[in-house]
Amino acid sequence: MKKLLRTLIPFDIAKGLSITGTYFVKVFLTANRAKVKQHVVSEYPEVPAPLEPRFRGRVQLTLDEVGDPKCVCCNACAKACPTGVITIEGGKKEGRKTRIPTRWDYEMERCVFCGYCVEACSFDAIKLNDQFELAAYDREDFSLGLHGAHNVLEPSPVGKFSYSDEA
Amino acid sequence: MFKHQEMEINMGPQHPSTHGVMRLKLKLDGEVVTECRPIIGYLHRGVEKICENKTFAQGQIWSDRLDYCSAVANNLGWAEACEKLMGITVPRKAQYVRTLLAEFNRLASHLIWLATHALDIGAMTVFLYAFREREDILDINESYCGSRLTTTAFRIGGIPQELPEGFEQKVRTFLAKFPACIDEYENMLNENRIWKKRTIGVGKLSAEDAIALGVTGPVLRAAGVAYDIRKAFPYAAYSEMQFDVPTKPEADTYARYLVRMEEMRQSVRIIQQCIDGLPEGPIMAKIPKLLKTEVNEIYHPTEAPKGEIGYYLVGEKGGAGPYRFHVRAPGLLNLQSLPKMVEGSLIADVIAAIGTLDVVLGEIDR
Repeated sequence: MKKLLRTLIPFDIAKGLSITGTYFVKVFLTANRAKVKQHVVSEYPEVPAPLEPRFRGRVQLTLDEVGDPKCVCCNACAKACPTGVITIEGGKKEGRKTRIPTRWDYEMERCVFCGYCVEACSFDAIKLNDQFELAAYDREDFSLGLHGAHNVLEPSPVGKFSYSDEA
Repeated sequence: MFKHQEMEINMGPQHPSTHGVMRLKLKLDGEVVTECRPIIGYLHRGVEKICENKTFAQGQIWSDRLDYCSAVANNLGWAEACEKLMGITVPRKAQYVRTLLAEFNRLASHLIWLATHALDIGAMTVFLYAFREREDILDINESYCGSRLTTTAFRIGGIPQELPEGFEQKVRTFLAKFPACIDEYENMLNENRIWKKRTIGVGKLSAEDAIALGVTGPVLRAAGVAYDIRKAFPYAAYSEMQFDVPTKPEADTYARYLVRMEEMRQSVRIIQQCIDGLPEGPIMAKIPKLLKTEVNEIYHPTEAPKGEIGYYLVGEKGGAGPYRFHVRAPGLLNLQSLPKMVEGSLIADVIAAIGTLDVVLGEIDR
């Protein structure tokens, strides 16, 4: 008899449903009013995603006071890179003691964003910025360099298809 | 009048319930599976061969991509294997941080297992609840190392950087609310009649079969064998931690579910001990900038969320990377037990059996 009752009245399913119900009522009653946010889903494309300070985004070169790249072409980052996406050629510049890169190529399509290059650099010449919307239609958009269409110094050569840019 | 005939079908490689690109060759007699052959290799990237051409430090990024749901646990195994090969002792603080992050990773991996496994069987609500908590863990990952999934969390000899500001607060907030979340999942599933009918007695694997096939992890523990590498061969800071190894004798899908839920509770316990007893001190051992090895070979097992992940490394004289590298992936050996579990059962139980094994094709194919 007890078993039949248990089969007829689904207490077990009601137990699970009550959890969903609790959350539903909580959010329903406090929507737009609560000081404590009840919903968990972020409105990402409309509201930019919050990032941690240590976020590992795209490689970007840092500049010195004169506006030249700090890079001294020691090739430490290129050696540390697991996928070998960095190619550096050094040259000279009037009034600068260290060498200056004439070519600094970064092929982002193979980059794994591990941050080993930043750790290898002793001159703080390289950083991983906070860009993560890096999709593009053209493969060439991923080849970044010092001179040319897609500059590795600029913050946003690719990622132009992100929603937040259009808005 | 009716002809009796066995039918051969492919499940996968593009099937939503095979968790990746796994193909199952099934022979069916009506709805009963008479033969099951897993066919793997669709995600093969040659990780072992690639790593032989890289340095030890660089090899770690491929360990991220073995089992991508539990990257930190794989990083830990890789870092410890390299340290064992070169005889490096890691500072105590680094050991604690490693343990803490590895346990967080176990939570994340078990949560994604619970979510997808329940979704496969038909309990969709749990999927969203489990992902809500997993998000917090990924945020903690991001605040520590800057990446959410492919963490590259450790370095040979220690950890790359100190814990960030506010990390402890974040961990404590999570620990305060997470046990209630596990209760929520259990309230939704434990007594649910559909869940019980789909899991109890499904995918049975006896302890003898499990040991013979080399199955490890929660699948083995759900067969009543209390074998956990964290207890049997303690690594990192596990020898200083208090925790239990949950076991169940039933050896079915429901028992594995219960074992994993209990493991999550134990992980919370370990994280609590790690954050309470976090020692001060250096985070990196003194190591040469370019790591070189002698002729040596080691095997280092660690307990990843899915079972025993072991790294076998051979060093050559003066080599900057491994001469030979092999991964003993838990997923591959656990997958071997799938035919034993499903042969003779209904085709719908194949989905439950795949889910309960927690397969991730990244480490099976490598």
